[in-house]
Amino acid sequence: MNARKNALTVAMTAVALALIFPRRVYGYIDPGTGSYVFQLIIAAFVAVSFAVKIFWHNIKNFLLRLFAKKEQ
Amino acid sequence: MTASPDLQPASFRDPSGFLFRHQGQLFRQVNESYREHYDLLIASGLYNKLTSAELLIEHEECGLELARTPGAYKILRPVLVPFISYPYEWCFSQLQDAALLTLKVQKLALEHGLTLKDASAYNVQFVKGRPLFIDTLSFEKYPAGRPWAAYRQFCQHFLAPLALMAHADVRLNQLSRLHLDGVPLDLASRLLPARTRLRFSLLSHIHLHARSQKRYEDKPLPAQRRPMGCFALRALLDSLESAVKKLAWRPRGSEWAEYYDHTNYSGPAREFKMRFVADALQRLAPACVWDIGANTGFFSRLAAERGILTMALDIDAAAVEKNYRECRREKNEHLLPLVCDITNPSPGIGWENRERASLLERGPAAVVLALALVHHLAIANNLPLAMIAGFFARLGQALVVEFIPKEDSQVQRLLATREDIFPAYHLQGFIAEFSCYFQIERSEKVPGSERTLFLLRTR
Repeated sequence: MNARKNALTVAMTAVALALIFPRRVYGYIDPGTGSYVFQLIIAAFVAVSFAVKIFWHNIKNFLLRLFAKKEQ
Repeated sequence: MTASPDLQPASFRDPSGFLFRHQGQLFRQVNESYREHYDLLIASGLYNKLTSAELLIEHEECGLELARTPGAYKILRPVLVPFISYPYEWCFSQLQDAALLTLKVQKLALEHGLTLKDASAYNVQFVKGRPLFIDTLSFEKYPAGRPWAAYRQFCQHFLAPLALMAHADVRLNQLSRLHLDGVPLDLASRLLPARTRLRFSLLSHIHLHARSQKRYEDKPLPAQRRPMGCFALRALLDSLESAVKKLAWRPRGSEWAEYYDHTNYSGPAREFKMRFVADALQRLAPACVWDIGANTGFFSRLAAERGILTMALDIDAAAVEKNYRECRREKNEHLLPLVCDITNPSPGIGWENRERASLLERGPAAVVLALALVHHLAIANNLPLAMIAGFFARLGQALVVEFIPKEDSQVQRLLATREDIFPAYHLQGFIAEFSCYFQIERSEKVPGSERTLFLLRTR
């Protein structure tokens, strides 16, 4: 019981500290809220095409290696 | 940090450290607050990887006794960059190469568990003909899930000016001179032609990005922040890279092809001029040459091929572009082409007008080449010969200069559309005014012309 109580106290203290002293999210330049929000959205979009790009790249490499082996 | 005369005026925004001069050498103080990041830069192998690939400036660690303020963790002595140039002095391809270097460095940093905390174009310099990342303190530990803090800065410093140069007008690179933290995206979005909205990369990273900035103006970061995975970050970098690579600038058709031809000389006159310049360089053996009005760098190359660090300055972005591409192709390590209007050279800008040095503060050159230039200054710009002589004397210790009299077709062309209000513009007037500042070491009439070449030394 005591252990649970202690854990609860520690967790609550951590939450309180996090609220009082917000975690330093960025370095010395201002990322800009608009840029921050937009970056998350655009990254989600381009991640899809990036995944496709990597996928095709891997297939191309695989086929190239396959043909190279056959030629040998 | 208290202001001290030996602190570098461009190095004060980042609390991680700063640059200072000591006994004529440049040092970088790394503060305790940056310890974790600096140690990771070294221990992760990123520093070695970047420096061995000549992507990041090398440094050596020195004793802490040189520390300028309390709380110093390291004192570094970076390799000296021989000439500092600024983004508003670069041609399109130079800015593009600097952008691609920044992205390459960021990608390698991510592979080593670090990230770039800023993406300023001023973090890049041209050394040995190639862009080099010069800010050792730009790296920090990459906290998983965090978006790229420098995304806004990258778009403002690189993507926006490149897009404006490629799609609107190459002269818009000068906006970087007005806006020290890069071209504001709302401005870039307004200036770019509507057709750029049809390109996904520009629609997103500039137009929609600008709209998002406007929408969240003065609003704090959202309390519930969605994390951004490393894959999404890599995708963002890949998207930025392809956006930068897709941009191209090429002056229109014939103008580009004929560029050097109609300003160039042919036959014995050019041979003679080449010999005169080569002899002067041989005699003076300078460490640094500034070729003013260099065009595509034909005469600059006479200095560069002797291993002399040579700046080829020209007002024309097309000429500088052509020169830079040629330098890149021939891997020229000694020639740096820059866009510069010598009648309005880069001023000191930024905080206290000292953050970015004026062109004159970055001199003097050992030798200034001013070939086929004085008539442009005197006739096209109404500059009295006395003022031209005084300016050249401040610019360099020796001067190779060509005087082209009114009888020459080039000067006649300049006078064709205007009244001749230059009674003092003649050879005797030139010699009289330049003799106030210089000693004439040698003068020769160019065969088959009315032109005269001079080798002058400042008094």
